[in-house]
Parts: sequence; C-alpha cells; structure tokens
Amino acid sequence: MLLKKKRFLTPAVALVGAALFTAPILAAPFTIEDAEDEEPDAYMAVQGGDIYTGTGEILRGATLLSKNGKIEEIGYNLYLPKDTEVVDAKGLRVYPGLVALSASTRMSLGTFAPGLEFHEFTPHNEFEGVCGDCGKSLEEIIPPALDPGETTTEHLAVEGIKSDFDDSYDPFNGYLVMALGNGITTMQQSTTALKMLRGRIDGVTMADKSMTSFSWSGFNPSGKADLREKFRAGNQYLIDLRRWQELVKKDKELKEPSRKGIDSRVLSVLQGETMAKFSSNDRDDLLGIARLAQANKFRPVISGCVEGWIVAEELGRAGAFAIVTPRTRSDRSEELSRESGSSIENAAILHAAGVQVAVVPANTSVDLGGISGRDLLHLPIEAGFAVRGGLSDKAALESITIVPARLLGVDHRVGSLEIGKDADMILCDGDIMHYQTFVQYAIVNGTQVYDKEDEIFYAHIRPRGEVAVDPGEAVPEAVEAE
Amino acid sequence: MLNLLANCLLTATLAVAPGDEALPAPGEIGGPDLTYRAAKILTMALEGPMVVNNGVVVVRDGLVAFVGKERDLPASENRVVTDLGDLWLMPGMIDLHTHESGMSLYQGNDLNDTVYLTNPGLRASAAVLPGNSSSMRAASVGVTTVLYIPGSGSNMGGSGVLLKTGFDKYEDCELRNPGSLKLAQSGNPESWVMGVNRSFMNWNTRNTFKRGLAYAAKWAAYEDTPDDEKGEAPLVDPQWELFRALAKGEAQVSTHTQIYQVVLETLTMVRQEFGLDVYIDHGTIGAWRLGGMAEELGVQAIIGPRNVDAPSRNFMRWAGHIEAEGFRGVAAGYQEAGHKWVGFNTDAPVISDEEYVIQAAMAVRFGFDDSTMDAVRGLTIVPAVAAGVQDKVGSIEVGKHADLILINGHPADPRSRIEQVLIEGRKVFDRNETTSADARAK
Repeated sequence: MLLKKKRFLTPAVALVGAALFTAPILAAPFTIEDAEDEEPDAYMAVQGGDIYTGTGEILRGATLLSKNGKIEEIGYNLYLPKDTEVVDAKGLRVYPGLVALSASTRMSLGTFAPGLEFHEFTPHNEFEGVCGDCGKSLEEIIPPALDPGETTTEHLAVEGIKSDFDDSYDPFNGYLVMALGNGITTMQQSTTALKMLRGRIDGVTMADKSMTSFSWSGFNPSGKADLREKFRAGNQYLIDLRRWQELVKKDKELKEPSRKGIDSRVLSVLQGETMAKFSSNDRDDLLGIARLAQANKFRPVISGCVEGWIVAEELGRAGAFAIVTPRTRSDRSEELSRESGSSIENAAILHAAGVQVAVVPANTSVDLGGISGRDLLHLPIEAGFAVRGGLSDKAALESITIVPARLLGVDHRVGSLEIGKDADMILCDGDIMHYQTFVQYAIVNGTQVYDKEDEIFYAHIRPRGEVAVDPGEAVPEAVEAE
Repeated sequence: MLNLLANCLLTATLAVAPGDEALPAPGEIGGPDLTYRAAKILTMALEGPMVVNNGVVVVRDGLVAFVGKERDLPASENRVVTDLGDLWLMPGMIDLHTHESGMSLYQGNDLNDTVYLTNPGLRASAAVLPGNSSSMRAASVGVTTVLYIPGSGSNMGGSGVLLKTGFDKYEDCELRNPGSLKLAQSGNPESWVMGVNRSFMNWNTRNTFKRGLAYAAKWAAYEDTPDDEKGEAPLVDPQWELFRALAKGEAQVSTHTQIYQVVLETLTMVRQEFGLDVYIDHGTIGAWRLGGMAEELGVQAIIGPRNVDAPSRNFMRWAGHIEAEGFRGVAAGYQEAGHKWVGFNTDAPVISDEEYVIQAAMAVRFGFDDSTMDAVRGLTIVPAVAAGVQDKVGSIEVGKHADLILINGHPADPRSRIEQVLIEGRKVFDRNETTSADARAK
C-alpha cells in the first residue's frame, strides 16, 4: 500500500512522509536499548567558547552539549547531566570541522599510497600546472586514454559494492593526525566521504558514490552530442518506465520498456542517487553544462570553473555547484572578443549568482610538500583568496564546511553545528581564516581526537601556555609593556 | 641589443594613444604632486619610524617627496590630498627569485642553458619580455621589483637582471643589470650531462670564481693605473665581465643553496674565501641552523618557496635529515638562530608572485615572529638590502622610488585586497578598472 502511494508523491512530500513513517521505528529500538543497555549516555560540553555554527548565528561564550556523539544543545546556561566531560573553550572559537574534497593522500594502509584500485581520476587536480600558461585546456593535455568520462570507478556504481575504506582505513595514520590538526574532520577519498575517526573504524564511511564524473568539452563535439543523447534517452526511459508502471496495473501483459542502451550512470544522476560532476574551466563548456543540466533537470557539479564568473548567472539558474581553487590563474585570451581567463572575484561572483561554491586547494594532498600554504592542510588559506576577491568570511567558511558536505551527501550530519548533527568541531585560538590560527583541539563524534600540545607536529610552535588564548589570563609581557 | 631593439619597435606601436597630450598624471614625472592620506603607512624604513599611523605620502616626479604626519607637511596652495580611508600604504614588494619576466619555462626556455657546468657569461636580460602577462600580474599583486634569474640546471646559470614589473618597455623596467650572478650549488645541477656531485661541483665552481676574479683584478689594476702609464687595455671577455661588477660590489651572488652542508659551503667559499656580496636563496632543509653564522657574515637569507621542513618526506630524506620534532618553519629557524635579515622569494613559476605574501604568512604560521613587522620587512626592505638597491626601493622614504601598494590589511593575509599599485608614481593596477568588476556591474 505504501509503495503504491509513494510513487505519486513528489520527492519532498515523499521525504517528509518517509520521515514521519520511519521516526517511530527509529525511536522504538532506541528506547528498548536504553532500558537494556548498561552503558550510560556519553555527554560532552564545550564550554565558554565563541560558537560559529556555520549555517546560523555566532554565539559568544556559549556552550555546546553533545550526547553520544550528536549535538544535543547549543546555548547558554545549559543543564549539564552528571558525568558530563567538560572542555574549557574560554577564549577559543568553535567551528564545525572542515570538509576536504578530493583528498589525494590516502587515509588507508598507513602510508602515502596513491594509486589505489579505487583511486578516483580527477583531471583538474592531477594535470593542474602541467603546462602552466601554455594556453591549452585540460582536455588538450590529458591523454585521450585517461578521458575522465571513461576512467571513473564505474565498478563502484555496481550495486552491492561498498567503500573499501571500511576495512582499509588506518585510524592511527600520521596524515590523519595532520588533517585533524588542521581542522579536517570529514574527507573525501575516491568517491567516499570518510569521517576522520581516530583509534576506531566503526562508521568511518559516511557516504559513497555521491558524485559521478562526466566529460563535457568543446574539443570533443561528438562526446558532447553523445552525452546529450544519453541524458535525453535516460529521461525518456524514466518517463516510459513511469507510464508502464501505471499501465501495467491494468494490462499485465504490457512489456516493460527496455533498459538496453540506457547509460546507468546517467540514470543514477537523473534518479538523484548521485550528482553529475564535470571538470571544466572554459566559458563555453560551462554554458553547455548549464544548459544540459537545465534541459535534463539535474544540478551539475563543476570542478575548476575558472571562467565561471563570466557566466555566473546561467550557472546560478542551473543550480550549479562549483568546486573552485581561487588561486588558479589563466590569462585573458587575446583571440577572443568576449571576456576570458581567471578572475580573483570568481568565487564571489558565483556565490552572488546563487552558485554553491566549495573551495579546494591546488594541491589536494595532506602534506606540505615543503611548499606550505597551498595544500589540504591550509584549506582556510585557499578560501582566503576567495575573500580577497570579495567573498564574505561566512561564505568562505561555508565553502570549506557545509557546501562540500552537501556535495558528499553528508550535510545532514556534518558541515555545521546544529542540534541533531554529529558533534564534529574544532576549537581554534583565533579566526579560522587567519594564517596564524591553530586548531587547539579537534572533536569528532563528541570525542576529543586531537590536542595540539600532545602531537609532534605543531606543539612547539607558540605553545599554548605562551599564547594569549584568553587576553584576561595570559598576556605576553611584550604586549603588556606597550 | 637586438632583443632591446625589437622591444622598442613593439612598444612604439602601443605607447601613444590619441589624447595623450594632457599633463602627466599626478605623481608621474612632470605631473603635479600626488598626495595620499592613509590610516597606516608601513614605511619599512631601516632608520626612523617603520610605521606611520594616519600619515601622508607625497609623490613627485615618480619619487617619494614626503612621508610622515600631515602637520609636518609644508603648506602648499595647490595641494590636493586624496584620503584613502582605512587603507594601508606599503612599499612595493621585491621578489629576488623569479623566472617569469621573459619566456615562460613552458613556452621555451631561454634561461637554463646548461651547456657548461658553469656559464657565467649568459645574461637573463637578453630573455626579458617587458610587459608579459606574468610581469603585469606580478605588478597587479604588488610585486613591483623582481630579480629575473637563470635556472639552476648548472652551477652558474649566468647573470640575473633587476627589473620593475608592470611596464612594457625594457628601458622602463631595468633597475640594474647585472642584477646578480646566479650560483646554484646543489640540488639541481647534479643532473648536468654525466651527473656530477658536490665535490666536483665545488671544485669547478671555485675554479670559475678564481678565473673570473683574476680577470676582474686584471681590469681593476688597469683602471687604477694613471692614464699616462696605461698600456694596452686587457681583452674584453664576455664570459668574465660579470665578475668585474661582483668584485666591485656592484652586483651580488644570488645563491640557490639549501641543505646544511651546502649553505655552509656558500658561506665559507663565496663569502669568506672570495669576500663577495652574497645571499642565501632558498636556504631550506636544515640550513637554518647556520642562521647565526650567516648573520655574522652579513649574508641575508632569502628563503622560499619551500619554507617548511616537514617530517617523513621522502624527498627530505636525501638530505639525510628528518625533523623528528615536527614541522620546522625555515624562516623561524633562521630568526631563532639570531638572523635578522630574513626575506622571502617565490621561484616563480614554482609559486606565482600572487602567492609571494603567503611565504610571509606561512613563515609566521610556523613560528616566525612578526611583532616588529619582520614578515613585511622580508617582503620589502630585506630583499632590497640583499640586492643592494635599498637606496631606490624597498621602503617609503624621501628620494626613493614611489613604488606603493594600497591594501586593506596586513599584506601577509591572503584576504587582504590590493586596491592600487603604483610603480615610480605610475598607476599600474587599479582594482576598480579590472574587467571582472565591469562584468559584475553589468
């Protein structure tokens, strides 16, 4: 009965309906467990910090209470149950943990292991800087054999195959600690969203297959035509399928429409199971993607998007997500009468046009590579370049928290500090967007997993005792003298 | 010369536009005074106040004519003061390691001819493309002076040239030629022909210095001889001409050097043995331990772009050294070792000049003390002193070039937005005139 009804509901209504229906089921075993399980609830209170909720207000000197890893309450004068673990956050700023897209350093196997079987091919990242300002597009540089549309991990899309990180994630990995030390609590590896768990692996995979790569390039007109046709055919198939599902009730003999020739990846995009991700920088390609998306009613994810500022309005109307590296530069082409090339204002203009902007650094390894400030350990620095171009501090924070969480399909759990979401947060000794700010503590699932003083990486740099975390408590002498 | 001529021809067609007969703009040569009032002026002067709050700067004929409090400004009837609101004024930045003022490394390589193991006769000035996109972009992000140097594929790549960015004529760009001798002691020249190593490289480099300095000494002796006793002038040998400038202290040795032992070789060979004006370029991988010695010898440390020694990196292991204690900020290391002359560089295109300020930001992040603006000094006056051009650039002081940046915050912060850049009083960048802003207005 429910199944029949569900078919006619719009997705939004279906969601609400499903939520209403499933709520009692979820609640029921919980209460039973409560009664039977001896284990008491684990409470943690982060007390007295300035809480930057991300999607909501900034609460000065507030308290965040978590229960069993979920945020229970945020506010003032909270009742703290007995045995609540209290973290003193006075003088610190509390932010949602950062969400890092397309990290290339592996959190599995304990060592730097690029080239795993499920390694996602991201031409934008891997071929960045190969030819500098040679004027060639990525499509020209990337060898045809590595066409992103062809080499995505299609086998992952086969039903039943889950992330291989469940049993290969190394919860004692040094890179994990470095990531936590720089505020990252959720990370994309291949097509998987991982929770940066320390010392445990249960529930490390938060979501899988949230994005599927497609290729769209002006240098491959037939490829564009093919993809357009695949989407058209996919949409037609879905229409036919729905019609058949109705008619077959009256006429049992009616033949089901054939799935032959229908692209399974396109179909999963159209059915909302995954998001279509393109790597594109060229204005004309961006326009093409926007039109493809609007014609076929899906929201495209566009990685690169260097010339997005030129067609921001169109991308906004298509409901696009942009994954940008604000530092990417390309020259204006003298051969074109239109605007071209990069703009420092790209992220700001896209955001103003309604595009969801996520930021990734040029180097997506969890590693300084000696040249620091341009890798995943310095996500806020990259977002800072977007601020230089006019993006607000708030939107910049969103670009490394809630927006990437949406892209990974985990925004209901992480990316902002809200009641009911995972208690993943970082406690910083200043503005997260400032280059001098360090993460003092990281908390994942309501458990402290990082303390700057306890790890070798940064403990010796401005040790906590010497830093004026709370101006009222420890003012360095030099400042006092003035 | 040919190159120069070609540049002249090229720019001649571009330079004159109709309606140009009007007076030069304020601040430019021949134009009226340009007077800016700013909330904060980072003068970066070596002597006198490094910061002037709520002060004014007067630019006359491309030079700084006044900097200080407005009350000290001589009265003038015609003065028009432009109030910059809460913007800061700072001197144009100086990057002593770039390869981008000419053909890009990706377009064709004019800068890394590794025919011999030492090539002191080659000149980067011959490869300059004034007004190329990289130079213009450098100007737009406040890097107004660069040292354009040969690559490090051989031990001596030739002479670099000090250039102003943002101009499209070579004559306007050239600040000093030769700008430096590019010496590369290790960590690249090893790939030369049959694979040389440090002992041979040091032997050969030392020999080249000896021959070059002998040539310079011969010329110095000739020049010192009274005119009536002068015999025939020594033969001019382009291979060694650069050493005359080096011997006179008119150019420095900019040394691609890193790893403790190699930097030690820089200090002992180039500075102590040959007595040349030299500075450390890169200087990473444990070399900060020599900070005290470098300071004592007057050798500036122009570090970057690899400005953090990181643990457990494979490429770090070839130096035989791993920082067990965690990340070590290289600039902080020099500073803690007692070095007061720490500057930065980009090695563009390794990182772009737009990221030059991030070198300072990362230095501070990893422990470099900026409480007396050492991070800003490292982007301005320290490289100016290292390159011996502190009388012209690197600070806002009377008589020096009016290379000015209008910025809305601390220059090391990537969020700080540059509003305007002047080079020698000429406006080379104005954010309100960029195309993207136009696009947004539409």
